[in-house]
Amino acid sequence: MSALSELGTLRRKKPPGHKRGPGGGAGKKATKDNLAAYLFLTPWLIGLFVITIGPMLASLYLAFTDYNLIQAPEWIGLENFTRMLSDERLHNSLRVTFTYVLVSVPLQLALALLLAVVLDRGVRGMAFYRSIFYLPSLLGSSVAIAILWKQVFGTEGLLNQLLAQVGIEGKGWISDPSTALGTLVALNVWTFGAPMVIFLAGLRQIPAMYYEAAAVDGAGSWRRFRSITLPMLTPIIFFNLVLQIIHAFQSFTQAFVVSGGTGGPSDSTMFYTLYLYDRGFGNFDMGYASAMAWFLLVIIAVLTAANFVASKYWVFYDD
Amino acid sequence: MRPLIRTVSSRGSRRRFRAVAAIAIAASLLAASACGGDSGGGANADGEVTLRFNWWGSDTRHKITQEVIDSFQKEHPKIKIKGEYGEWSGYWDKLATTVAANDAPDIIQMDEKYLREYADRGALLDLKKADGLSTDKFEPDTLGAGEFDGGLYGLNAGINAFTIVANPAVFKAAGVPMPDDKTWTWDQYTQIAAQITTKLNGKGWGTGAYGTNDASLNMWARQHGQSLFTKDGKLGVTPEGVTEFYTNLLKMRDAKATPTAEFTSQDMNAPLDQGGMATGKLAMSYSWSNQLNALSKASGQQLKLLRLPSVSGKATENGAYYKGSMFWSISSRSKHPKEAAEFVNYLANSTAAGNLLLAERGVPPNTEIRAEVAPKLKPADAASHAFIQEIVKELGEPSPPPPVGGGQVEKIIQRYTTEVLFGRQKPDQAAKAFIDEVNGEIK
Repeated sequence: MSALSELGTLRRKKPPGHKRGPGGGAGKKATKDNLAAYLFLTPWLIGLFVITIGPMLASLYLAFTDYNLIQAPEWIGLENFTRMLSDERLHNSLRVTFTYVLVSVPLQLALALLLAVVLDRGVRGMAFYRSIFYLPSLLGSSVAIAILWKQVFGTEGLLNQLLAQVGIEGKGWISDPSTALGTLVALNVWTFGAPMVIFLAGLRQIPAMYYEAAAVDGAGSWRRFRSITLPMLTPIIFFNLVLQIIHAFQSFTQAFVVSGGTGGPSDSTMFYTLYLYDRGFGNFDMGYASAMAWFLLVIIAVLTAANFVASKYWVFYDD
Repeated sequence: MRPLIRTVSSRGSRRRFRAVAAIAIAASLLAASACGGDSGGGANADGEVTLRFNWWGSDTRHKITQEVIDSFQKEHPKIKIKGEYGEWSGYWDKLATTVAANDAPDIIQMDEKYLREYADRGALLDLKKADGLSTDKFEPDTLGAGEFDGGLYGLNAGINAFTIVANPAVFKAAGVPMPDDKTWTWDQYTQIAAQITTKLNGKGWGTGAYGTNDASLNMWARQHGQSLFTKDGKLGVTPEGVTEFYTNLLKMRDAKATPTAEFTSQDMNAPLDQGGMATGKLAMSYSWSNQLNALSKASGQQLKLLRLPSVSGKATENGAYYKGSMFWSISSRSKHPKEAAEFVNYLANSTAAGNLLLAERGVPPNTEIRAEVAPKLKPADAASHAFIQEIVKELGEPSPPPPVGGGQVEKIIQRYTTEVLFGRQKPDQAAKAFIDEVNGEIK
C-alpha cells in the first residue's frame, strides 16, 4: 500500500520547469494520462478478455450442452447438472478432494507457522533458511517434482530404501490405493514455504512493546505466543487459510503426474480437477466437464464466503 | 492491518477467477474450433507442403519412423513431414485436444479403440475416396477392422496377436523349463508361474497379472464363447463371465504366480521400457506380438512369444485372432489430403518403407511387402513374424471393433482390477460394477 501511495505522490510532483504543451488544459492532460494508462494496460486487458472472460463465458454455454469436442455442441439444458447428482465417480472425486484439502491445508499452515515463529527468533543465517524453506513452494507444483515424488515413494523408491536401512519393509506407497493420497498430502505440506514467508512478514508487524509488557508481567514464552502472537496473527492466518484452500482445490499437476493421468490407483487420487479433465479430454465429454468447472467455482465461492463469515468470530483486527 | 485485508479479498477473488481459468482456456480453444483453423501449415510459395504426423510408441519406433520420414522426403522434396510422437498414455488426451482445437495432425496413427470414436464424428477421412492410396495388395481380411458404414477410416498398419511374452533368461535363472504353449491350460500356466516365483525367491515373479487392459478380458471371453463387444456394438460379456475372470485372477495371485497388488498397480501404466518385463522382474507377461521387438530391446534379452493358455488345453480354443495392431488415418480437416494419402500409401505399399518399418508395428498386411521384408527381419521381428504365421491355423473369427465409448474400457478395467487385487471389492461386485460402468460409457 505504501508503495502505491508513494507512486501517487511521485506523479503529482512535476519536474521543475515543466511546460505544458500548446493549449494543454488540465482536463486534456488527464485524458491523455488515462489514454496512456490504458495503452500500457492493453496487454493485460487483452489477456483478461481473450483468455479469461471470453473462455469463461464459452464454458458457461458449454455447461448446458452435449459437446464431444469434434461435433458442434448441442443444447441439453440442465441435463449435465442432473447427471452430476448420480455420478458416483464425481462423488468419489469430491470426497478425495475434500479429504485432501481438509488434511493438507491445516498441516501445511501449522508447519508454516511453527517454522516462521522459530525463524523469527533471529536465527543466524535466517535469509538462507528462509530461501531454503521457500524453495519447495516454487518447485512443488512443477512436473519435475511430481516425477521425483513418484520415484521417492515408488516400490523401489528412496523412502523404501531408507526404511530398509532400519529394518522396516516398505510398500508401494503410490501404487496402493490406501496410501496414494497420503503422498500427495505430503507433497502439499512440503510446500509450506509460501505461507511461511507471509507469516514471517506478519510476525514482524507485531509491535515489540506487547511482548515487553508481557515479559514484565512475567508471561512465559508459550503464554506470549498464545496471548499475543496468535491473536495478532489471525488476519494473516485467515489470509493464508483462504489462499491455501483455494489453491488446494485447484491441485491438478501433482495428481496427474503421480498417477500417470489416471487418478489411480483405483480413483484414490482422482481429484475433482483431474476427473474434470478426464471427462473432457479422455471421454469426449466437454459439456459435462464445463458444468463440473462451474460447479467447482460455486464450491470454492461458497467456501470462501463461509470463511469470510466465520472470520468475524475469530480474526482480530488491531485497529 | 486494514489495508492488508482489503488486498486479501481482492486477491481471493482473483484466485477464484483463476479457478476456472484453466478450463476456460481449454474451452476457448474449443469455441475457436467452430470458426476454422489451420491444420499444420499450408503450402508456401514454392508449393512446398508441410504435413504433421502423430504416432505413439517406444524409442525403437520413434527412430525407425523418423527414418521412413527422411526417406519419403528424399523422394518427395516438395512434401515435408513433421513427426510428433509420445507415450501411449498421453497420446489420446493430446489427440483429442488438437482435434477439438481444429489443429488435428494430418496423418494419425490410430488404434482400434478410438477408431469409431473419431470416425463416427466425422474427424477422419474416408480412405476409399483418397487419391493415390492403393489397397490392392492387402490381405483382404486385414481391411475389415478399419471399414464401417461403407467407408475405410483406418488402414491396417500391421497384424498383431495377443500373446504371452516370456523371458528365457528368467526361466533359466529359476531353473524352470519353457512350457509347451500348444497344450497348456490356465492351471498349468498358474503352476509354472508359481514355481518360478518360488525359485526366484523374492527377485521376481512368474507372470504379470491380467486385467490390466481390455484385450485380456476379451481373450478370456472368447475362450468362454463370449466376446468383449458384440458385432452390433454392445457389451458382450456377462456378470458371471467377468466374475470368473476375476476369481481366476485372485487364484493366480494366491498361488503367488503373479506379483503383489502394489507391483501390478504400478506396472499397469508404466512405460514399456520401465515395466516388469523390461526390468527382468517378470518371467512372463501379456503383450501384443509386435511389441516383442521393443520389449526385447528394453530388457536386453531375446524374449519369446507364447500362445495364451486355454481352458481345454487346445491351442485352437485359446481365442487367438489377428488384430490390426494400429491404423493409419487421415484427418478429415487436413488441408492436403492428397499429399497425406501419398504418404500413407508410401507407409503401406512401398518396399523402401517396408524395409525400414519391418514388423515393428506388426506384420505388414500388404502381402508383397511382407514377402519382401520377411528375410530381412531382425531376430525379434522375425520371431513375431514367424509366430503370426504359425498360429494362422488356430485363429478364430476376428473380434468386433469397440463401439463409440469403447476406448474407455481400458481405464475402467484397470480400476476394477486394482479394486479386486487390493481386496477392496469381491470379484462379483467388481464384475457387476464394471458392466454397469461400461454400459454407461458406450453409445
